[in-house]
Amino acid sequence: MSQSQQGLERLFKALANHSELIAEAYFTGVVYKDSQNQRTLNQLKQLKVLVNHNADGYRIAGRLTQFIDSALSSDRVRRLDTDLAGWIETLEQQISLYQDAYDETRLDDCDNYFAEIERLVFDLSDTLEENTRYLLMLVNSRFANVRTLAEKQKQNAFYISRLEKLVNAITALQPEFLLELVEDQPLVYELLDHQLIRLLPIYQQRLQDILDKLKVFLFELRQIEARAQLVQGFAYFLQQNQNYQPQDWSERDSIPEHWNQIKPLALFAYADPLDHALEEDLVEIAQKIRFDTETLLAKQKQRGLNAVSLNTPDKITLDLPLYRKQLRVYFDRVLKNEGRAISAVAFQQAFVDDIEASIWLSCVLNEWLRRQQRNKRLQMELIQADDGQRFSGNKKVRDIMLQFRGAEH
Amino acid sequence: MFDRLLKRLLQGEFICEVSDESGFRYLQDPENAAQVDEFLTRLDYRLSGTQNQLAFFAAYRNIDSSARSDIRKVFQQFRVELQPVVEWLDMMMSCLNQDAALSPGDTLSFSGLLQVIEQNQALADRLQTFAKFKDFTSGDDSVKGRLEKLLHTLCKWGYLNLANRDTLIYQVTGKLDYFYQALQFIQEHEQIPTEQGETDAIQESLF
Repeated sequence: MSQSQQGLERLFKALANHSELIAEAYFTGVVYKDSQNQRTLNQLKQLKVLVNHNADGYRIAGRLTQFIDSALSSDRVRRLDTDLAGWIETLEQQISLYQDAYDETRLDDCDNYFAEIERLVFDLSDTLEENTRYLLMLVNSRFANVRTLAEKQKQNAFYISRLEKLVNAITALQPEFLLELVEDQPLVYELLDHQLIRLLPIYQQRLQDILDKLKVFLFELRQIEARAQLVQGFAYFLQQNQNYQPQDWSERDSIPEHWNQIKPLALFAYADPLDHALEEDLVEIAQKIRFDTETLLAKQKQRGLNAVSLNTPDKITLDLPLYRKQLRVYFDRVLKNEGRAISAVAFQQAFVDDIEASIWLSCVLNEWLRRQQRNKRLQMELIQADDGQRFSGNKKVRDIMLQFRGAEH
Repeated sequence: MFDRLLKRLLQGEFICEVSDESGFRYLQDPENAAQVDEFLTRLDYRLSGTQNQLAFFAAYRNIDSSARSDIRKVFQQFRVELQPVVEWLDMMMSCLNQDAALSPGDTLSFSGLLQVIEQNQALADRLQTFAKFKDFTSGDDSVKGRLEKLLHTLCKWGYLNLANRDTLIYQVTGKLDYFYQALQFIQEHEQIPTEQGETDAIQESLF
């Protein structure tokens, strides 16, 4: 199956699969995107079935509308047999009918006439947009690019007639008159203003550009550079196919020569100061730095940490906490008085002022546990308090008696 | 000259008469080109040029899987550039009112372009459409701001060179020669219809 056949099949499948959405756009004039139909709307837009209506809405493309009108034998078909100026006449008639229905509060008729007006405006807008753009492209790329006078005459007649019809259409629009006609109907006023009148300066400018070109080349044989034709043709193609992406030629077995380019080598954001090749450059940069820059004038903090010295550092003797000195005195006394039990609380009351008795006892117990591992002769006796709470599982100590037993012979 | 040129080539730059006149002249000398090519060969690269020899660049000598991966990235960048560059070239023909597409060496005056676009609503409208491309979105919505962004991005991509900072004169670089070559290739191999003759009859019925 050829590429064009595949494209046609894809188009027909999309039309069949999303017929309800397309019908809704045709009958109501616009469909709005939501979380569920966004992908479908994008697909239909790519296939040129729908075009943008506003930021959130889509409507059916003008040509498809014309086809549906024709297929359904709609009254609107008659417009296609007339020229663009005839469409504007029909638009004015529809506005008049809408106003009558509006004045007589025939709401259903109002809705129908508004839908007709809306479709006419979109048709006109689409037609003017497409035809001015296309004619400008033709004039830019092909006009006067002929070899014989007969061809030239034929071509002149072709362009003049098309330009004439576009000029007539735009002239017939009379924006002030149309807006004045609908100033009491804000809906129609907004529609005409946004979708048609505001776009007129662009169409007029395009016509002016076409006219400028015609003035110069109407009677001249013109040679357009082949490369310019390539650019203009490609630009037109891309405007018509905005989602076009070239095939991935980098995946082919044989990559075309012009795409054989190296990837730029990664560069470091800073110089390597150990690279001697850069020494002169770095010196040069350093010399350019002004001495009075804020960075250099700023006082630098002295770094006291991690100073390296080959001398042996002086030993610093840290002072023992007071309670440990007092513990040492107590234990020395016990060790000197062999065979005699000495009360920890009595020692505390006699020599230790600034430690509570309970904390002192805890310190003594801890110190005894530490020393007892290497000196089994150091004996301890806990003097328990009789608090009357038996079988509580706790022991309440009111004193500790330490004794250093003499060696057994 | 030799080392400076090599560094630029290894950075993936196009050396042309506009971007580096002395470097380009140096490479036009076959003896110099052979020396550069010999050095590049050690890296498994080679010196290559555009179809009309308007710019030089470094290419892979052998396309292995690693080279293929790099070329893929170059091609992806071309895909990004394709639509905006074609649109810019087409728009410049309208701005300058000429039948020839821009060529390497052509000059563009910022003030001249600004004047033409400000006086032509259709061109201002076209300039605005560049905002749909990621690299062309500008915080400044004026025609001047958009035009600045357009030319700045084209400079960044290497198609333009700011020749005079005071008068804002830009010059088209030799990289455009490569772009035309790629465009021609795609048109021929993907059968892009750039001739409109076949559709004239269909269009005629619409009027």
